[in-house]
Amino acid sequence: MVYPNPQIFYPCELPLKVSIPLFSGKVAAGFPSPADDFVEKSLDLNELMVKHPAATFFVRTEGDSMIGAGIHPNDILVVDRSLRPTSGKVVICALNGELTVKRLKTKKGRMVLTAENSDYKDIVINPDMDAVIWGVVTHVIHVL
Amino acid sequence: MMPQPLIALVDCNAFYVSCECLFRPDLWDKPVGVLSNNDGCFIARNKALKALGVKMGTPLFQVADLVKQHHVHLFSANFPLYANLSSRIMSLLETFTPSAEIYSIDEAFLDLTGICEQDPISYGISIKQAIQQNIGIPVCVGIGPTKTLAKLANFAAKKWPKTNGVVDLSCPERRERLMRRLPVNEVWGIGSKLNQQLSQLGITTVWALAQQPTQRMQLQFSVVLARTIMELNGISCLELAEIAPDKQEIMCSRSFKQPLNNLMKLSEALAEFCSRAAEKLRAQDSTADRLTVFIRTNPFNPQEPQYQRSATLKLATGTQDTRRLINAAKQLLQGIYKEGYRYQKCGIQLNGLHPNSMPGQTDLFANPKSSKERELMACFDKINHRFPKSISIAATGLNKSWQFQPEHMSKRYTTHWNELAIVKCS
Repeated sequence: MVYPNPQIFYPCELPLKVSIPLFSGKVAAGFPSPADDFVEKSLDLNELMVKHPAATFFVRTEGDSMIGAGIHPNDILVVDRSLRPTSGKVVICALNGELTVKRLKTKKGRMVLTAENSDYKDIVINPDMDAVIWGVVTHVIHVL
Repeated sequence: MMPQPLIALVDCNAFYVSCECLFRPDLWDKPVGVLSNNDGCFIARNKALKALGVKMGTPLFQVADLVKQHHVHLFSANFPLYANLSSRIMSLLETFTPSAEIYSIDEAFLDLTGICEQDPISYGISIKQAIQQNIGIPVCVGIGPTKTLAKLANFAAKKWPKTNGVVDLSCPERRERLMRRLPVNEVWGIGSKLNQQLSQLGITTVWALAQQPTQRMQLQFSVVLARTIMELNGISCLELAEIAPDKQEIMCSRSFKQPLNNLMKLSEALAEFCSRAAEKLRAQDSTADRLTVFIRTNPFNPQEPQYQRSATLKLATGTQDTRRLINAAKQLLQGIYKEGYRYQKCGIQLNGLHPNSMPGQTDLFANPKSSKERELMACFDKINHRFPKSISIAATGLNKSWQFQPEHMSKRYTTHWNELAIVKCS
């Protein structure tokens, strides 16, 4: 890796000592915090959005065909490969050598990939087509 | 009664290539290869590339025409991507067994004893399917009562597509049939030299080896070979190593595409290698007390003047401090460096590795500053862990001009937010 403007640090000559105030629920004298018994860990977004860490991937979107599903260009999708792609799920599909986002539907016993934007046509999957479901989209991360 | 031991070896197919293709469906049916060593030679090939006759380790320049003609897709080794996908695979494998040994970046032994005696093949298939579905990397599963047989079964699973990638050698009859067909050098641990010696004795198939009396082979060769023979006969001699043993030596070296012709650049490269090695040393919490530095010109370029030297320094006390190693390496380099040569490779090696003594437990000759050193290095590692490669010792140089810039690097899809794979909404 090349750094455009590397900063050079030299060894410090004087012993530097910084006192850091130490806060803790345990106080030797005085009142203990009434909240001590109720300490819980902070909320973690991974817990909410990543149910299967080994099988979860993040990808970035390009294009507007899924606007109706709340997926905008340049959003990040959370994709869980462990989930079964069933009818109605938004999926990543490897189609004609590209990863594309579509809603999976079954119509008259056939798999159909639909966009959520009336400008785009449905794609009916034929057995001779090169289509593989890559994963199931579970969340959209969109910057407002 | 104790259940019959059962071990599986799960090994990824053309792992590096499979990783490169995961986010690239356009390459799924094309010849693809991964290059290492300054993009110099192939270290992984998919089926389509193997079919073109490109062998493991083939130098790129030797097959340049073929690469062009068949539009072979080349990748520079992208280890952040491979390591991430590997750790996903390993964590998934651990859900299939109470104990696993991660044998390398792309293979693991699983102890299946008492888990799937009824139907090891279906269990193997479910492992294979789980990894394909969850991570998208194809694997083969070899099953047998010993590690050596599991390894052999895996080889068979890879070689014959008819097996659907899962082979079980629990049954002695099937074992015999397979062993009669396979050459002895396909056995785990039989290298080319041993293979030659064995073939002189008329031992050419795996089956022939398995029939040898172990005691005589132990006397004539080694206890290792005797164990291999027992393992081939279904007697387990090699335990699963659940915890990787600490390294006994650490080596860090590179060859350069553009040879280095001055002391400064060599010195910077060696300082960088010392930093890497010291990081590894601290990761396993060892100290080293011997440092070797070596430099050499390109032996494959005989028109050029040739020179190679190495030198070793015994340090007064074991250390894991990057700065002490760099100082020692510089000292060694000054002793062996000669002007007027184009150096194509250099490196360092650390030996005399010992577990770091308990903090506070210092010996008589210990440097009184050593606890400060340790704190500084711990802080150094912490910063670099959080912000990779953000802080380095100045002796490693500011522009690292000796460092090779790989040409065919793919994105770090799984470890960098700004390098995510693009999916089309179109």
